Amino acid sequence: MLEVKNLAKRIGEVQALDNLSFSAQDGHITGLLGPNGAGKTTCLRTLFGLLTPDSGQAEIDGIDIALDPIAAKQQLGLFPDPFGLYERLTPREYISYFASLNGLSNTQADQATQAVIDKLMLKDIADRRCKGFSQGQRMKTALAQAIVHNPRNIVLDEPTRGLDVMSTRVLRGMLSDLRDQGHCVLFSSHVMQEVASLCDHVIVMAKGKVVATGSPDELCQQAGQTSLEEAFITLIGTDEGIAA
Amino acid sequence: MMHVLANMIKKELKDASRDKRSVMAGLYYALGTPIVMCLLFMVLIKQLSSPEQLLISIENSQAAPDLVRYLSTAEINHADSDNSELKQITIIIDKDYNSHISQGMPATITLIADNSNDKLQSSIRRIERALQAYSSDIASLRLIARGIDPRVVSPIQVQVQDQATVDSKGGMIIGLAIFTMIYSVFISGMNLAIDTSAGERERNSLTLLLSHPISTWQIVLSKVITVTLFAMAGLLLILLVSKFAYALVPWQELGFSVNISLPFILLMLLIGFPVALLASSLQLFVSFLAKSFKEAQSYLTMVLIVPMAISMMSSYNIAPKVLEWVPVSGQQQALMAFVKGHDIGLTQLALSSSLTLIIAIVLIYGMQKMLKSEKVIFGL
Repeated sequence: MLEVKNLAKRIGEVQALDNLSFSAQDGHITGLLGPNGAGKTTCLRTLFGLLTPDSGQAEIDGIDIALDPIAAKQQLGLFPDPFGLYERLTPREYISYFASLNGLSNTQADQATQAVIDKLMLKDIADRRCKGFSQGQRMKTALAQAIVHNPRNIVLDEPTRGLDVMSTRVLRGMLSDLRDQGHCVLFSSHVMQEVASLCDHVIVMAKGKVVATGSPDELCQQAGQTSLEEAFITLIGTDEGIAA
Repeated sequence: MMHVLANMIKKELKDASRDKRSVMAGLYYALGTPIVMCLLFMVLIKQLSSPEQLLISIENSQAAPDLVRYLSTAEINHADSDNSELKQITIIIDKDYNSHISQGMPATITLIADNSNDKLQSSIRRIERALQAYSSDIASLRLIARGIDPRVVSPIQVQVQDQATVDSKGGMIIGLAIFTMIYSVFISGMNLAIDTSAGERERNSLTLLLSHPISTWQIVLSKVITVTLFAMAGLLLILLVSKFAYALVPWQELGFSVNISLPFILLMLLIGFPVALLASSLQLFVSFLAKSFKEAQSYLTMVLIVPMAISMMSSYNIAPKVLEWVPVSGQQQALMAFVKGHDIGLTQLALSSSLTLIIAIVLIYGMQKMLKSEKVIFGL
């Protein structure tokens, strides 16, 4: 379970997070939906302890990231934006390296890597260096890195950007499987269709604040609209947020 | 935790060894420098020394047996043109030499040599000095014969005392050779240091690394150890290449030899280790502060002038005493003393090495702190 409480963070002149609170439950896919510049990435970075909030806490399975970062991060898998691949390593080396960083022994890391390579059908490219990979191949490698150590919580930052239909389907299938296995999946996005088709729970963010929460249907009802897109526009108020 | 650190070092080494730019940077320096230095030394040695036995051509020597004898006492002798040691310098004694001398008229001696040839300079000067001395000897005798004290024609006597010794000339050369070796520690790991810090951030993998359950100590240590290993590999390589290259230089002409012996190699590796640790932590520290690969490169070029200047200074005999205690130069002085066969100042070496280690540890501590700062992580 992921929970942020009253997060506030000022970056330069911008109040990136403004008293932000929400939680993402185990066994659910939670979508963090907001226009560009709403503070989604800042929020996720705070959750990972990369940014220190001015006030408020971020907890992973009840562990405050600021108090015990190592224990908190052990429960996390991150699919970052951008991916941050090591171009000179092969996916097998890359995935197994991050598995070992999460405390797996060398044998365990090798086994877990092989399992995730099979699961994501990465076999063809597993022993080729990442340099020159297509966006879809990069996405799969990054996703494998995020789930290889079987973390309770998986956080994905804009996972579908730049992906073709096939890759998006692989990703969707993966996220649904993870939810069914009881993992807590949190992902940020500004793509309505993604959120509408995948999420059990949506948190709508604008200007660093939570504007509304609920399932896609509940959000439509709250806004009195039929599509999530229209509901989204209504909920964040003006189109000011979108322009940001 | 050690297992994680070991895996991180393994990954860093694997990543680095596949980075052609990083590997080549160290390799070129370690292979090229000793060879360039050797060529330089060979030329320098030729310049510094005029052979003890200077062989030249003297034409019409039977006209001036006294002069030829005089030159011979100054180790300047005639040799036939097939002699390989013969310098391209010719003295022609005029056919009227004897009659002009006996009449007290100026007798002509022609000195033929290529004055633009730098290699002949010291030999030409030597012959000119000998002829001048001979000339004034004769002049003195003539004045005495006429009842005049020869001292009246030399109102000023300039006394030049050249304090240069073979050892001090050699000291510079030894200093230069050791300088290139110490500097290899700074050069060999530099590109890797930039790649693994500023490059890691530029490729967006730094934030991913920091999002994993590892401490910033582990990140910093794995990088420092990897860069230090690269620096030490560069040092070992330059030592091995130097061992063979320096054997080709005709040191004996200078009266000493630079012998890259096994004890010297071992001492250099031992003394070089703290310097390598300092070099890698300094380079990583600066690169983490830079916003991009390019920026790190320009910062490092500036920062590396400091150890280079310190090391350069102690190559010369004019180095101030305080340099014996300073990191890098202290170690260099100890190595120079070892090569010259002098006693190593153990106190100075211990202190400069400890200072080197302390600075490295402070830099490492600073880096693991830095990696907790969002400004550094995101290059703000």
